[in-house]
Amino acid sequence: MLFAPKPHSALLIVGHGSTENPDSSTPYFEHAAEIRRRGLFAEVHCCFWKEEPSMREAPYMIDAPEVYVVPDFISEGYFTQEVIPRELQLSGPTTELRGKTYHYTLPVGVHPSMTGLILRRAKEVAPEVDPAKTTLIITGHGTGLNQNSTKAIKDQVALIAASGAGYAAVTDAYMEEPPFIADWDKMAGTENVIVVPFFIADGLHSYQDIPVLLGMEEEVGAAASQREVFRHNPHHLRGKKLFYTSAIGTEPLLADVILDQVADFDKILKSL
Amino acid sequence: MSIAKKLKDLIRSGYHRMGEVEIQADVYGYAYLLCHHEDEYLSGEGGLGGLELHEGPDKARDLSTYAPDGTYRFNKAQVNLQRGWALGLQDEEELRQALDLFYPACLGLFLASREGRLDVQNLREKLERQTGMYRFAKSISDAGAQKLVRDTCGPDNACAKRILWRIDAATPLEDSPASSYSGIPDGLTETEAIPLLCREACNHFVAECRKAARAEFEVKNEVG
Repeated sequence: MLFAPKPHSALLIVGHGSTENPDSSTPYFEHAAEIRRRGLFAEVHCCFWKEEPSMREAPYMIDAPEVYVVPDFISEGYFTQEVIPRELQLSGPTTELRGKTYHYTLPVGVHPSMTGLILRRAKEVAPEVDPAKTTLIITGHGTGLNQNSTKAIKDQVALIAASGAGYAAVTDAYMEEPPFIADWDKMAGTENVIVVPFFIADGLHSYQDIPVLLGMEEEVGAAASQREVFRHNPHHLRGKKLFYTSAIGTEPLLADVILDQVADFDKILKSL
Repeated sequence: MSIAKKLKDLIRSGYHRMGEVEIQADVYGYAYLLCHHEDEYLSGEGGLGGLELHEGPDKARDLSTYAPDGTYRFNKAQVNLQRGWALGLQDEEELRQALDLFYPACLGLFLASREGRLDVQNLREKLERQTGMYRFAKSISDAGAQKLVRDTCGPDNACAKRILWRIDAATPLEDSPASSYSGIPDGLTETEAIPLLCREACNHFVAECRKAARAEFEVKNEVG
């Protein structure tokens, strides 16, 4: 989608961040740098829940009178519906606050264009395999606390299954609720299995926890950026060929999904 | 006037430091050159005295992510910025972006403070609005919170910012190196250095409050 520049608006990308792993916030800064490079906004900033700048500090960095707030989160849930509005003092899709107008978009992970990114990732990691002989598993955290946290993944599974991409099977799996990603081999009837972690960053979960659950590693390793050798695909495990991609949020094209959410906001919500 | 233009005026009026970062203007063909303040003498020598030269504001994140001992600087106001680098920037907009990566939002907070529009939030208000796993943090005692300020804030611990908040409106922070720190290092004045300001307790401090509150609860139950 061609994005109409907003030379009088700021873009504020909101991420989770981490006090333990700097890889967690790397994609947010990369997405911000890419959008800044394209000159589409007057300013582009990031802010975080667990890192600096905090959401309460972020407005002090911004000159522009209009601010698009995009949660660079994978699903709707506790953070996008409770924490971010509270911390940024947003009362709805559009909020007037201290002389600025804030527009609050949906999180990137729920945008339909994520489907293309997942398929692209899967193709990149296993360009030679025949989709008809391959199971595609989209994996996320999952939690019994919030049903929304798995909805974005279930939606993507349905979209890909209906897309004509040709995979023998497409399914969802989670770290902390069934179907469990640790049982990946049991849910795949094919020899080839591609696992795409539906996370923004290659942080604790996608690069440390899930490889253990998949059986690729025996114990939790160092942060991705601290590794000397990255993983090599495919992994021959449990009688199958396993292809494991980096987190979907590290895809450079996610910058386009951020812009898609801004464009959709203008199209759908600004007219309300 | 934009934040970048205000920054340009600050530098012209004699400001040259923010935290551990020294700011030089109009050197070696760059509008601004940044380095660790302890490396400033090297930056004046031929070949930048061996400092590794980088360009562009985005490099500021790489330069400030890890301390010299390899630990992750999740709090950017720690006094352990690595040395040995210089960062060349083309204009004040790049300078603004770089400073926002070295010391996130601190420039904007300082300008807001000078202009009388900085909203400071006391600790009790901050804890009251917490939800989820952090909602238990609010049960910390005043004494416990005062101890945490002494033990986790200030340049001797993990943060060289000037704390502007109180426990609550009626309860100031007890005097300590942490609570009395100016946010300006090395005896510089506020006409030379942009101070690092803390307008409300950070989420690291809230997480520490949660741990301390739990410990207080367990002690109380054991005694009871």
